[in-house]
Parts: sequence; C-alpha cells; structure tokens
Amino acid sequence: MEKKSSKKNWPVIISYIILIAYAIATLFPFTWALLVSLTPITYTDENGNPHGVNIFDWPPNVKLFPRPSAFGAPLTFQNYKLIFEVVPLYGRWLLNTVIYAGLLTIGNLLLDALGGYAFARLKFPLKDMWFTLFLATMMVPSQVTLIPQYNMLVNYGLVNTYTGMFLPKLTNIFGLFLMRQFFLNFPKELEEAARIDGSGILRTYFTIVLPNAMPGVSALAIYTFLGAWNDFQWPLIIASRKEMYTLTVGLNFFKSSYYTYWQYMMAASIFMTIPMIIIFLSFQKQFIETGRAVAVKG
Amino acid sequence: MITVKHKTKEAIVGYVFSLPIIITVIVFTIYPIIAAFYYSVTDYQPLEARKFTYTFNPYESLEFNTGILREEAKDYPLDQMIQSFDPVTFVEIDVGVNLSDEDKESIRKNFDSLNLLSDYRDGKLPTEIKISDFLMKYMKSDGERFAKYRPKFVGLENFKQMFKDMYFYTSLSNAFLYSIVVVPIQTLLAIILAVAANSKIRGKNFFKSIFFLPAVTSSAALSMIFWLIYSKPGILNQVLMSLFGRFGFQPIDYLNEPGIALFAIMLMNIWSTAGYFMITFLAGLQDIPSSIYEAAMIDGATGWQTFWKITMPLLRPQIVFVSIMGTIGCMQVFDQIYFLIKNLRNITISFYIYKNAFEYGKMGYASALAVVLFAIILALSLIQRKVVKEEY
Repeated sequence: MEKKSSKKNWPVIISYIILIAYAIATLFPFTWALLVSLTPITYTDENGNPHGVNIFDWPPNVKLFPRPSAFGAPLTFQNYKLIFEVVPLYGRWLLNTVIYAGLLTIGNLLLDALGGYAFARLKFPLKDMWFTLFLATMMVPSQVTLIPQYNMLVNYGLVNTYTGMFLPKLTNIFGLFLMRQFFLNFPKELEEAARIDGSGILRTYFTIVLPNAMPGVSALAIYTFLGAWNDFQWPLIIASRKEMYTLTVGLNFFKSSYYTYWQYMMAASIFMTIPMIIIFLSFQKQFIETGRAVAVKG
Repeated sequence: MITVKHKTKEAIVGYVFSLPIIITVIVFTIYPIIAAFYYSVTDYQPLEARKFTYTFNPYESLEFNTGILREEAKDYPLDQMIQSFDPVTFVEIDVGVNLSDEDKESIRKNFDSLNLLSDYRDGKLPTEIKISDFLMKYMKSDGERFAKYRPKFVGLENFKQMFKDMYFYTSLSNAFLYSIVVVPIQTLLAIILAVAANSKIRGKNFFKSIFFLPAVTSSAALSMIFWLIYSKPGILNQVLMSLFGRFGFQPIDYLNEPGIALFAIMLMNIWSTAGYFMITFLAGLQDIPSSIYEAAMIDGATGWQTFWKITMPLLRPQIVFVSIMGTIGCMQVFDQIYFLIKNLRNITISFYIYKNAFEYGKMGYASALAVVLFAIILALSLIQRKVVKEEY
C-alpha cells in the first residue's frame, strides 16, 4: 500500500507537526517549573556581593556555559534541600504520603484481588446482587459520601490518624472491577489442572492463581499508589493537623505561607512529581495497557 | 472430618474472599450514601453534633458557678446552695454549651441539682467527664437527648433554599460551563493526537510517554505550576507581550480576573487530560482492521472522508467512554478550583459543597447540594448512553 508519490507523505508530515507541537506544549510547563526550582532565591557572586534573583525577569537569560545559569544566577539544587529546612515538617509530610500510599496499595492489592477472583470465578449466593450494587455505587460522586464518612471518623476519634485516612479507601470498586476483568480473561486450564491434582480453592488461589496474576496485580498496585500519592481532597478533609498533612496538602500550605517564594513552591511541586515520573517510566507498559483495558470495559 | 460438598465449599470461600470488600463498601460507601440522603433533609451542623462530646472538669465549672471552692463546699449547707443554683445557667455558661429551647426546658425539669451538689460537697465528682456522660448521669430522665445528636428534620427546606441561593446557581452553571467547554475539546484533541500517532511515524512510544506525563502528576502540583505560568508577571504574559505588545496587549491577571479565571483552569484541564485520553483512542484505532482503510482508499475516499466516515464511527465506544468519564470528572472538579480560584463567582458545585460542609458548618445543606449533583451526574450519564445507542 506504500505509494511513492510525494502527496502520500503529507499525512505523516502533518502528524509529526501535531505530535511535536503538542509534546512541546506538554513538556513546557514542567520544564519551566524545573528551571525556576533550580534558580536560587539569592546568590553571592565571585566578589562576595549578594544578589537577589527575580524569576520574572524577561528574557530568562538561560545559559548552559560556562556553567548552567538562569535569571543571571547559577543553577543549583539547594531549593530541594531548603524546602526541608524552611518547612521542618516537610519530611514528615513525605513520610505520611509514603505511608498513606503504601497502606492503600497493600490493602487494595490484597482485598481487591481476592474479591475480583471471587466475582470472576466462584459461585456464591447473591453474587449478582452485590455486583449490581457495586456497579451502581460507582455512579455516586465522592461529594455525596465525603461528609458522612468524615462524621463517622470524627465519632470514632479517627480524624488526623493514619487509620482514619486509609480505612475508607482500603478497597476500591474500580480495583475490584479491574481484577475481575483480569481474572475473567485468565486461562481456566491452570486452575483446573490444580483442582484435578486435589488442590483446594484456597491453595489454588495462593499458589497458582496469584503468582500468575502479576500483570493485573501490578497494574492495580501502580494505579492505587499513584492515585493515593496524588490524592488531595480526602487528606485535606481528614488531616487538619499539620503533622498529618500529605505532600499535596502540604503544597497548599506552601501556597498560603510562602506564596512569594516561587522557587520553593516549584521545588516542592517537582519534588513530589519525580517519584511518579520514575514509576511511570519504569512501568509504562502496565499504565498504557490498563488505560486500554479500562476503556474497553466502558 | 466433615466432607462439605464442593458447591457449599465454593460458596463459603467465595464469601470469605469477597467479604472484606463487601464490608468496606457497605460501611464506607453504602451507609454514607444513605446517610447523605438523610442529612439532606436535616439541618445537620457539625458544631452542634460535637458540642456534647467535649470533656470538662465539673469542679472548675461548679466553683465558677457557685463561687464556693471545692475544699470549702462541705461546710456549706446544701439547701442554701441549691437555692441559688440554676442548672440551665450552669450548663450553658459554666460548662459552656449552647442549648436549644427544648434542651433548656428539659434541664429545668429533669436536672438533679440536689444529687450534683451533694456529690460536689462530698468530693465524689470526676475531674474530667464528657458533657454527654455528665448530663446522662445527673438528669433524672431524658438524659438520652444529649447522648446522641439528632439533627433537626427540615423536610425539603434545604432544596427550597437552593432556589434562593445565588451561589448555588453560579457554582452549578460554572460546573456545566466547565464540562461543556472541556469535554468536547479534550475529546477532539485526544482523537486528533491519536490519529496522528497512529500514522506511520517513528517514536510512537516516545510521544505516548510524554503525553501521559500530566496524568501521573498530581493536580495539586499542576495547579502550582500553572499558578506560576498564569501569574501577572509570569511567562504567558511575557510571551504574549513580546508577540502582541506592539498591538497594545496588556498583561492579564488570569486567575484574578473573574471573566477569565475559570477558562484559564479549563485550558489547564484540557492540557492535562487530552494526552491521557489519547491512549484510549489509540487503542481503539489499533483495533480497526487496516483492510477497512484499504477498501476506502480503493473506493477513492479522501483522508477527510475516511476520518469522518470510518474512523469516527468506529471510535464510538471510546468516544462514549471518554465523554462520560470526562463529564463526570468535570462536573466534580475540585482540586484546581481549591488551589487557583480566588473569588466566589468562579467556583464550581463540588467546591461549594466542600465550603458549606467544612467551612460554613452546614452539612445538611451541603448534603442536599451533593444529592443534586448526584442526580445531575446520573441523568447526564444516562442521556449520554441513550443518545449514543440511538445513533448507532
């Protein structure tokens, strides 16, 4: 179907133009934020004279040689260190985020996968009723459940605790569907072979099914971790004490307390994004495959 | 050993496996949904709900009220103390809780002042007690009214109030505006990007990775980055100034300009989701067999015709999915509004719900708003599904 006419190449050229233009548009805000985050707030020149730095200077005067500099100041990673010093709780917020995202991932990994397997493979009474009910609750916006959830946790004294933060999010219907879908496409032969060998359902699940379900399980883990790491509304509501903030809520604190220190705010924004970019780049295939699987389901 | 039939065993294991998720969904999703509907017909006020749950020191409160120190109390005659003791004043002022008229009436009638004061004289009071427990203990009857908060039933009052609430209209129409602008543009942009990426080009995966980047970044961080870009001396204005300054372009304070702020956030939203949805469309495109395109080419169809007559109809399932997901997301947009919107004229409904519940302390009204949002999202999804089915 390849035709060697020059007319035939136009779609490809236009495609390249569109893709490159949009790639630049996508990368530009990140690059700009990174540049500002690497710019010092003040610096001292060779003669020992202190200078203020204005990140709104135009043009930004970016130079790579003799040494990387922008806005007339040498670039440095010091802002990434300084955010931990100007906000001593920043380390705690990082820890909180890791705990919150970690607990959520473990919980969802175990429970959504278990439930997903049961709904995909096992026959039990009222299964269809539960499934329909779960499906229906997916339509409900979070604003509806947020207030009663909060009140419930207040009544049990769980506000500003890790337990209160992760308990309501320990399972996820979306994760259940993802895992159910995965197990539905899972070859039955493996389980049948195990069953003929006399292995019970429980043992089959833990020794045969789960180890072979890694693609589905890892996709669920990545999505859960990412969602929890980036979550803002729930931590905002449930963590009112500064010690319990996560990085996203902490960013809001930066915004209200250090709103002229753009370098710190950008360092904090980029800092919390880097782990997600690393995870994304390492697990690209799962991300994109899951995006695809979810779409097919809809 | 008892031999259980395989079917029964399977049912048991099925429940064991699914019980954790069933329980958490009941407790943290289904109960809250029911509770939200209940709240929506009450005047649920969190401050009211909590006021009897605080603890206090009865000795200190009684010292304030009677003017008699706890060590000296036993020397005072009980009947003299009782004469000048008013339980309502005591609870309201010295313990420090606001009481409704019914509460006052009940305390006046049922409070066992004699019991309390003699315990005070005998030093038999605890030094710290929850207000509800205290009232339970010293009310002859009706003490339960303080044990559990019962919000006042107001019927459809909250829903009626919405009709008079300017910010309800503003925030709801902003959410609609947001969806109407963002969903079609982001969907179309995603399709264009997917079609471009599906042509015979190199570096497909490279572009996919870049376009996915905003989707893995938190909306909080993205909001901060765009705050910088949109700020008045920021780069967007600088670039526009250098391009159009000579035509009289003046820097705009995008996020503080009520007519512009919401559109600035919409642009950011389109930017951050189009690449993500592009993946969905790309998957759809790759499922279209190339023989269809070949046949179209033999029939002499132009690229434009192929796009509208073949690509778009075959992408219908993905378009439905993306537009429904996009609409649901847009109607609930919160993070970006919380971070970037500074005036109430530009807020959306989910932010207004948050404000009512957690800043104004009007959880009944907030729940009613949430119920309305729920109804709207439900209706929109059903309409979208129906429209698409009919067109098929």
